[in-house]
Amino acid sequence: MAQALGEDLVQTSELQDDSSSLGSDSELSGPGPYRQADRYGFIGGSSAEPGPGHPPADLIRQREMKWVEMTSHWEKTMSRRYKKVKMQCRKGIPSALRARCWPLLCGAHVCQKNSPDTYKELAEAPGDPQWMETISRDLHRQFPLHEMFVSPQGHGQQGLLQVLKAYTLHRPEQGYCQAQGPVAAVLLMHLPPEEAFWCLVQICEVYLPGYYGPHMEAVQLDAQVFSALLRRLLPRVHKHLQQAGVGPLLYLPEWFLCLFARSLPFPTVLRVWDAFLSEGVKVLFRVGLTLVRLALGSAEQRLACPGLLETLGALRAIPPAQLQEEVFMSQVHSVALSEQDLQREVRAQLAQLPQSTSGPPPRPQARLPGAQAIFEAQQLAGVRGDTRPEVPRIVVQPPEEPRPPRRKPQTRGKTFHGLLTRARGPPIEGPPRSHRGSTSFLDTRF
Amino acid sequence: MGNRAEEDYNFVFKVVLIGESGVGKTNLLSRFTRNEFSHDSRTTIGVEFSTRTVLLGTAAIKAQIWDTAGLERYRAITSAYYRGAVGALLVFDLTKHQTYAVVERWLKELYDHAEATIVVMLVGNKSDLSQAREVPTEEARMFAENNGLLFLETSALDSTNVELAFETVLKEIFAKVSKQRQGSARTSAITLGGTQAGQEPGAGEKRACCISL
Repeated sequence: MAQALGEDLVQTSELQDDSSSLGSDSELSGPGPYRQADRYGFIGGSSAEPGPGHPPADLIRQREMKWVEMTSHWEKTMSRRYKKVKMQCRKGIPSALRARCWPLLCGAHVCQKNSPDTYKELAEAPGDPQWMETISRDLHRQFPLHEMFVSPQGHGQQGLLQVLKAYTLHRPEQGYCQAQGPVAAVLLMHLPPEEAFWCLVQICEVYLPGYYGPHMEAVQLDAQVFSALLRRLLPRVHKHLQQAGVGPLLYLPEWFLCLFARSLPFPTVLRVWDAFLSEGVKVLFRVGLTLVRLALGSAEQRLACPGLLETLGALRAIPPAQLQEEVFMSQVHSVALSEQDLQREVRAQLAQLPQSTSGPPPRPQARLPGAQAIFEAQQLAGVRGDTRPEVPRIVVQPPEEPRPPRRKPQTRGKTFHGLLTRARGPPIEGPPRSHRGSTSFLDTRF
Repeated sequence: MGNRAEEDYNFVFKVVLIGESGVGKTNLLSRFTRNEFSHDSRTTIGVEFSTRTVLLGTAAIKAQIWDTAGLERYRAITSAYYRGAVGALLVFDLTKHQTYAVVERWLKELYDHAEATIVVMLVGNKSDLSQAREVPTEEARMFAENNGLLFLETSALDSTNVELAFETVLKEIFAKVSKQRQGSARTSAITLGGTQAGQEPGAGEKRACCISL
């Protein structure tokens, strides 16, 4: 495998660099930065061993133990201690445990349990030739710089083919969307194909319905929502974007469709996914808002971008140091955008969508906002005896859980200097809203 | 006419690359703007762009080249992509007849979203793979002629005709622009796709600086 890797690399560099010679053994196996894969598998990647800013080994050990404990009684954990899951996801799942935790968080393990033969059948069935051609054309173009996906016959590209084909058979009316490639690839970096498949199903149907289908109607809606949130939370940036003619469809699709897999340093991508699988699409909005603020939040930055191209360029050129996982995620989690805020804006934008669009209208109410909602929906489906891995058609208000009384801050003799508002993040209104889950938008229908 | 030289700089022409997924749009972009080619460039999701300034006579033209995903479903979200484009390269893969068979559909898509007078070149890419050719040159050339399109065969891999393709389109645009300017009283520099000081195009509003060719 290492030899094949070297040959592929030599060939590519030959095309680009006339001065490179055919590699001798020492050149092929030499330690040049463009030959070695980093700890995530990216050839020439810069993710070195954890340095400053990364949690120390014993903290990681502690977190691993917490997760082992939580996942060994998953139903109990999700029924009673989801808040802890949410917190731990925000801190980041230890790398060694992502493979275990992601399928649990997104409910893929239940899907797989309910339909143990489905994937095998899909994998063995012949794919639609049209889709197979399109998918195959893209296999070497998903994560070309990752060692797992370098070889066409390797388990990376073959796994991608299988998982993506299976999806087109599972949901023929949806077919294949190119953005599913990077998503499936990241899943395959952590999971065997069957589990990766079910995680992909959950992402495409439950977390982000209407994103990957033929009309991408939910992407259009969310672009409007994002713009409205910008107007409310970062008004000067919004004005600048408008004047420069930069609409959200010029930058948002790649971000949201790929769950930022193509737009952030890889360790940060994994942190975003930890939070996304736990808390749902709200995380994508928070990440997007953070990126826009980092790129254009200051007057100087906006002055440096007089036009459309400069502005778009700024969104792509945020210094990597600002995107480092700890620095970045703490800002993401401080964005004052609650699930309720988001739902309110979604409803408002939905009402304003022009009727003339050719595709089906988006159905944001079909979207489940994260692991807790998914857990409850799956529990309910189990109770009703409905074990098919379908998106629940009846959406139900989950039962209220008795909450411990909220501890009031000690106020005797103290003066307040805005202690209840968020100290970090963009300078925007709103005290942090404490609420459990994100259930306000769910209708009770029987 | 002595001061005209000043006004001839600062042209920005927006050119879009369209065509089926996998025909080579992204590599045409990288070959023209950065002289780079990669067998493994990533699938384009959303929008990519790059620029290059070329000299046409005494005029410095900044070519703003846009590239987007070719797969059908992206068309729902890429109408913004066409706004302000004055040129287009409609690319097909000459080793895959299917990518040529849908050219008319792409033309319709283009005219649905862009100005009717946009300069269009039909480009048969991957000419380096001559043994695998599935679209005869004459057939494509005739189609282009019958539809008022320019035509060239290119190879982003070995660079054949890439410069020529873009330059031809830019020259054609420039000729139209010059003709229009001779007929109008305006003397300010014409910028497309960018904002000039003092202009405030609202979202969705047609900007005063857009030229109809």
